[in-house]
Amino acid sequence: MRNRVLSFGLLLAALAPSCLLHAQAPARSGAGKTPTSPSAAAVPDLSGNWLGKGGSVSWDPMDPSGKKPEQMAMAPWAKQKVEAARPPFGARATFDNVTDPVQKYCDPPGVTRLYGYPYQFMFVQTPNVVYILYEYTRVWRLIPLNQEHPKDPDPAWMGDSVGRYEGDTLVIDTIGFNDKTWIDQVGHPHSDALHLVERLRRVDHDTLEVEVSFDDPKAYPKPFSGKRTFKLSPAPMAEALCSLTEMQAFQDEVMKTTVQPPKK
Amino acid sequence: MNKLLVFFLAAGSLLLASSPVFAHHGTAGYDMDKIITIKGTISSFNWSNPHVVIHIAVKNDKGESQDWIVELAAPSMLARGGWTKNSLKPGDEVVAETHPAKNGVTTGLSGTANALLKFVVNGKPLSFY
Repeated sequence: MRNRVLSFGLLLAALAPSCLLHAQAPARSGAGKTPTSPSAAAVPDLSGNWLGKGGSVSWDPMDPSGKKPEQMAMAPWAKQKVEAARPPFGARATFDNVTDPVQKYCDPPGVTRLYGYPYQFMFVQTPNVVYILYEYTRVWRLIPLNQEHPKDPDPAWMGDSVGRYEGDTLVIDTIGFNDKTWIDQVGHPHSDALHLVERLRRVDHDTLEVEVSFDDPKAYPKPFSGKRTFKLSPAPMAEALCSLTEMQAFQDEVMKTTVQPPKK
Repeated sequence: MNKLLVFFLAAGSLLLASSPVFAHHGTAGYDMDKIITIKGTISSFNWSNPHVVIHIAVKNDKGESQDWIVELAAPSMLARGGWTKNSLKPGDEVVAETHPAKNGVTTGLSGTANALLKFVVNGKPLSFY
């Protein structure tokens, strides 16, 4: 365990210079502007490891348990994708011939799906950049503060994010996604037009609230939103990588035995 | 499934109703309304992602050894509860509750991110959290 803590400390030490470099890099539109860093007193303290419980498996506000994943108003192509999905949760949950891109390929889960796993995440808040480090799959996000998105960003698994503080809330605006991830655990797709706004607020010392607003007119005619809460965790961040070798071995050894024909 | 070696617990469905369960792959292959108890000897203990997997040699009523495959939570989750790669070793005697596979094979789910079932090793209960 000490080695893991040490390794994580080294990671943070490695990130620190990169965030300084990022603040100086003129890669974004608006990067010529001097970032207006809030004073230390104005920056909400989001420190700690935040643990979700898994709970809600769908971002459909009317169906958080995914009992009717096709019920949301959505474009025909999106509905076809939902109906064809063989996900881990909801009405179509299955162990047989799964199509979940995380289970099948160890693809990155994507921003909003990461909130649905019972793993931890943490923030590294620097004056001009916030990093979010996720325990599950060990992905991380870079959130430049008080900057604009680049014009027409290239598609990316985690999109292009910019952030700002509004009082006690960190607001993250993200565009520039590819269309390869699911937004939740029941197979709801999204398009490359997805625009996310996350509002993260520490409602008390031990509780983080995350409100996510989805606007994806190519997939869903109306914007929708939802909330998740996370609890402060005393456990250190651990290794929870998605290794395709291990994933396939697990599916062969365990999951596939449960979908064989019943014994007579 | 061998009737002499498994004991259905009527409280199983009640326990699960009050305790949401979460594994990254869901629970579709298991009968989450049932909890059975198996007794046997650890054959192997695989401390790896995405879930720890245990093989337990369980004797049926004919005295034949059956290989039970038991799934637990991810290593990182078990580690939060104090488990390590040395928590189990081949030869340990175990009494474990598990949700059996729906299709009757000797595969079961005994632990997820937020569900814990009884797991007794050499007479000593191991907790998940």
